[in-house]
Amino acid sequence: MFLNMKLLAHHSLNGFGGMGEGMSMQLAKDGRRILWLAHESAPKNFTAVDVTDPRAPKVVVQTDLPHAQMRSNSLEVAGDLMAVAYQVTKFGLKPAGFELFDISEPERPRSVSFFDASGPHSRGCHQLWFVDGKTVHMACADPELKPRNPKDDQIYRIVDVSSPARPRAIGRWHLPGTMEGDDAPPPQRLPANFDAGFRAHNTNVYPQRPERCYLGYIDGGIMVLDISEPSRPKLVSRWSNSPPYHGFNHTVLPLFERGLLLVSDESVRDNGADWPKLVWILDARDERHLVSISTLPLPPVDAFKGRGGRYGAHNLHENPPVPGAWKSETVVLGTFFNGGVRAYDISDPYSPREIAYFVPPAPEGSKIGAVQINDVFVDDRGIVFTVDRHAGGLYALEMNV
Amino acid sequence: MIPDGRTPVFVVTGFLGSGKTTLLNRIIGSPGFVDSLVVVNEFGEVPVDHHLLESSEERTVALPNGCLCCHLRGDLEETLIGAAMRRRRGEIAGFDRVIVETSGLADPGPVAQTLFADQALARDFKLGPIVTVVDAADRENRASGAEVARAQIAAADVVVLSKSDLADRLDAVTEEVKSVNAGALCVPARYGDVDPAILLQPTRKSGPAPVFSSTAAHAGGMASFVLRFPAPVSKALLERFLSVLVELRGADLLRVKGIVALDNGEHVVVQGVRHVFDRLRPVSRAPQTGLVFITRHVGEREVDALWQAISSLKGSP
Repeated sequence: MFLNMKLLAHHSLNGFGGMGEGMSMQLAKDGRRILWLAHESAPKNFTAVDVTDPRAPKVVVQTDLPHAQMRSNSLEVAGDLMAVAYQVTKFGLKPAGFELFDISEPERPRSVSFFDASGPHSRGCHQLWFVDGKTVHMACADPELKPRNPKDDQIYRIVDVSSPARPRAIGRWHLPGTMEGDDAPPPQRLPANFDAGFRAHNTNVYPQRPERCYLGYIDGGIMVLDISEPSRPKLVSRWSNSPPYHGFNHTVLPLFERGLLLVSDESVRDNGADWPKLVWILDARDERHLVSISTLPLPPVDAFKGRGGRYGAHNLHENPPVPGAWKSETVVLGTFFNGGVRAYDISDPYSPREIAYFVPPAPEGSKIGAVQINDVFVDDRGIVFTVDRHAGGLYALEMNV
Repeated sequence: MIPDGRTPVFVVTGFLGSGKTTLLNRIIGSPGFVDSLVVVNEFGEVPVDHHLLESSEERTVALPNGCLCCHLRGDLEETLIGAAMRRRRGEIAGFDRVIVETSGLADPGPVAQTLFADQALARDFKLGPIVTVVDAADRENRASGAEVARAQIAAADVVVLSKSDLADRLDAVTEEVKSVNAGALCVPARYGDVDPAILLQPTRKSGPAPVFSSTAAHAGGMASFVLRFPAPVSKALLERFLSVLVELRGADLLRVKGIVALDNGEHVVVQGVRHVFDRLRPVSRAPQTGLVFITRHVGEREVDALWQAISSLKGSP
């Protein structure tokens, strides 16, 4: 299934093609383009793929996790330094936090340090943002805090890694009312079948506005935070679509030149059970007053919900402010599980148009009989890289729009 | 970057017996045209099992070369909107372009007009190249329907001179074509052996490839000329000029196309056939700007005079 996208190459990553939501490109000193990928689940930690020739991707290294009750899920590369998130399946397990690697030799990643966030109420780090080589912004539990509800464990944390061997926590923020000792009352939870938690997900910070964090907060909506004083982040504004929608706000992508925010939900239920899960466009000209003006048009749910697995929004290409990444404020790309990877023209933000998509066939080894496209990264050559959540591995695509 | 994800609709036209079916089969058999949707009017035009086509509930069948084929039922709008909807729902594999073959006696203008005028259609589709097949060996054939034959040539982006190996005077046929449409690319062919890359090139960018031949020529009251704008123009003024021109002489505007620089810094594509024009669509900056006119009974002087009159009026928007 395709429109204006052509498959250049598909790599099943040596049979470990279940990929998470960490995709980051290293422009290696020897001229190679190395795409670093986090795995969805054990046994693999991360895989590096040489995509210099996108028609012939080559695995250069693939690493293992220390045990099966954890996952890496998220990673980011800044120069020759890579941060990898570690989340455990049960509270109290280790390692929970993130690890920094020196990847100056892509074939031989070398551990530089580990930031420990383990604790009796911690599952560690689910997602991190690391683009300046100095600061990790992440969704991670803080062992100093005890959530009132265990689903609310991961908060927004800021870690200074300007001395990579000695990561140092410098700030944190959580939704008031979610932790023991908070003055605020606990938040009103979504109905039990949609209650995913009030916790942080994506934690985007851009050089265009370094004093702002754009934070997805699962069932809590999205937050714009003032982080001009990292030790004391302050809430600027909050926007939520749930209820009546079904929560799980995932990513906030600011388009600074246009005064817009893109907000993705995440579909977390199979067969369209939590539909609609959408990408929302917000008018953010006044950052204190966010207004929803449209959503990206998706094919009708009845055509996809029966194909297997999830159908609906998830990750966006986040215009990462790093060399080698494609940046656009008019064309945005997202992943939609069995709806594939899709590109939209948002020149008119009130009337976004679907301009390209690619939905691979069910990958070999898929237990659900359908692809589950999980994440997307576009490089500055316009090559679209996307991954399957369960088995398919990496797809390299050419987009013609 | 100005994205345009709409699917181009190629139009293959030509007089009865000119060889357009041969050309069509040649095109869709080439690697560059894999993933095309071919819309045929009549059975027997493409190598497909007719019974399969007729009995298919899907109304679209896959050809051995990777293309899809469907039979035009109802009107073109219904066929194309249905195909786009089924592509989006994943009911058919997908296609990168549509190739519509008109019947031999059809003026291709209405196909272009349909794509400009139907908003639902224009959301997913845009006009691609119009390819007109002209029988280089049998000029008399066209004489029986000279008006339609000329309209087909006038509308063309590419004219394929078929049966060129049998033509006594290829240069005379070329001259005949150029006298109607000086801007069209003329390509001699034998058994449809055209390089398909010629047809794919214009679809790479938004809008048609601008062809700015300034050769004015006349045949049967027809004229081809270029209107150039010495400086960027106001969008509202351009729209008003086109509106007045269409109101006064729309029936005689056989084809208008080109790129115009606006005073807001944008470049826009202008496309029109007779009374119907596409909306002005932004494109990447082009080195050459201007409007190519192919007209009947209206000349360069009159069109230029209208522009001068409108643009010089004080208080114009």
